[in-house]
Amino acid sequence: MKRSKTAALLLMSTAPLLLTACDRSESASREGLYTSVEACVAQTNDRDTCQQAFAKAQQDATATAPRFANRKACEASYGKEQCAERSDGASHSFFGPLMTGFFLSQMMSRNGVAANGFNSAPAFRDSNGGWQRPATGAGGVYRGGAGTAMVPVNATPNRAVTVSRSGFGSSGSSRGIGG
Amino acid sequence: MRRVVTTARPDWRAKAAECGFGFHTIDDAPYWDESAYYAFTLREIEHGLEAPSEELHAMALDMVERIVGSERHMQQLAIPEPYRDWIAQSWRQRDPHLYGRLDFAYDGTGPAKLYELNYDTPTSLFEAAFFQWQWLEDQLARGQLPAGSDQFNSIYESLVEAFGTIARRIARPFHFAAVRASAEDQGTVAYLRDCALQAGIDCGLLAIEDIGLSEDGRFTDLDDQVIGCLFKLYPLEDLFRESFGAYLPRAGLQLIEPPWKALLSNKGILPLLWEAHPGHPNLLPAMFDDGGELPRGWVRKPLHSREGANIAMRLDDGRQLATGGPYDGPCIRQACHPLPAFDGHHPLLGSWVVGDRACGIGIREDSTLITQDSARFVPHAIIEEARGVLIA
Repeated sequence: MKRSKTAALLLMSTAPLLLTACDRSESASREGLYTSVEACVAQTNDRDTCQQAFAKAQQDATATAPRFANRKACEASYGKEQCAERSDGASHSFFGPLMTGFFLSQMMSRNGVAANGFNSAPAFRDSNGGWQRPATGAGGVYRGGAGTAMVPVNATPNRAVTVSRSGFGSSGSSRGIGG
Repeated sequence: MRRVVTTARPDWRAKAAECGFGFHTIDDAPYWDESAYYAFTLREIEHGLEAPSEELHAMALDMVERIVGSERHMQQLAIPEPYRDWIAQSWRQRDPHLYGRLDFAYDGTGPAKLYELNYDTPTSLFEAAFFQWQWLEDQLARGQLPAGSDQFNSIYESLVEAFGTIARRIARPFHFAAVRASAEDQGTVAYLRDCALQAGIDCGLLAIEDIGLSEDGRFTDLDDQVIGCLFKLYPLEDLFRESFGAYLPRAGLQLIEPPWKALLSNKGILPLLWEAHPGHPNLLPAMFDDGGELPRGWVRKPLHSREGANIAMRLDDGRQLATGGPYDGPCIRQACHPLPAFDGHHPLLGSWVVGDRACGIGIREDSTLITQDSARFVPHAIIEEARGVLIA
């Protein structure tokens, strides 16, 4: 077969195509990286969601954590005492890093209240202190069998005061970019 | 390859609305047109389009390596001097790229001929990857297409896979940006973002006009976050000449498509490819234009024209065709190889390369030999001819 087996849309069926300044808040999301349920509650004031997110992340950690054949290989990437033996349920055992935190993301409604539902994912910390998360949290088509690709996470995003805008876009016409 | 008149799905407009495909009609003129489709054999697809696309793509990437080592080639492509080292550096560190579209003239018989590479800001992606796919599935279900009909279109799967592959190399925060007022461009980035999200990548949408600049020369989003990676559906050469452009080489901003794509989405690549591969069956003879009178059988194209603007064509019989537009500057000449005609319609085949894989086509047809923004998107199917010959 020369065509995709499926063609899914995640947001497009509901998200507005045109961006305007005023509807930015409709699609705003809140995402945090937390090392404990308490830290999550302190930030979000939502204990139920934090507990559920933690539990789900812990559940997912075995399936999505990188897999190593032995403890030594795992500790080389994640540091001493940071790895544990795991099993995938089919009596294959392997070593993977311990979950050291979890992500929680929620869509926010216009008035700044968290919408129902959330996404969570386990977070791992490599031996250099960098945070990582599984790459395919939303179920990509090409999920590999042996663990998932890990994505580095910038847990403390850069901020910078903007001094000017509209320096790009002056050549833009309504149509004709595509060629 | 045949053009087959067919019955449109009665509910296609409702389906378009459901998936956010708002630009099926542009300025009151139809853009999505399923009153006909093009039928190909599997051989036409695999030998005529898929294999040449992968080969030309590899040839194009080889050319990048040559160009970044040559001031002369950079000059021929009119790459502004302040950006040359930055472009070369982005190639040497192999900044990840996502996609491109090769435009071909093809009628199913002779070799497909490359018109140009749209390797920086290709559009017509959503309609090719999603809406065309849905059309095929619906028409199969309705019995409007022979059972077993297929389509050369794994664009969606390839996009999600490509995003998954480069996810670790994409700096965060990651935003998709396009011109605010263009429904078509906004639709295209919304689709790409959808695919990135499906690959598990957090990312946002931003209007290109809303990009900010900080005091220390970094680019920011509307929340004053420094942008890590920007997918920009906006020509690199336009970014270069606009007021923020000068900050690009030192801003630490990752771009997709990356800066080195400026060397391929430039019609100057066509004479360079011809020089390196003279007589290649899928290439048309091409040379840099000296500004003289256009001989019969040649076409003049500016290095940076898009959507068929500013093209001058002198056919073999001496007839001349020309389109207006905003582009000027250096030009190339390409041997005239007019688009084929199917019932008076001239299809231009866009062959999609995602990552480094040729993975699908989209066809736009126009009533004229120069495909412009008046072209309509017409779906296609792979339909195997009757197999009676094998039995006999």
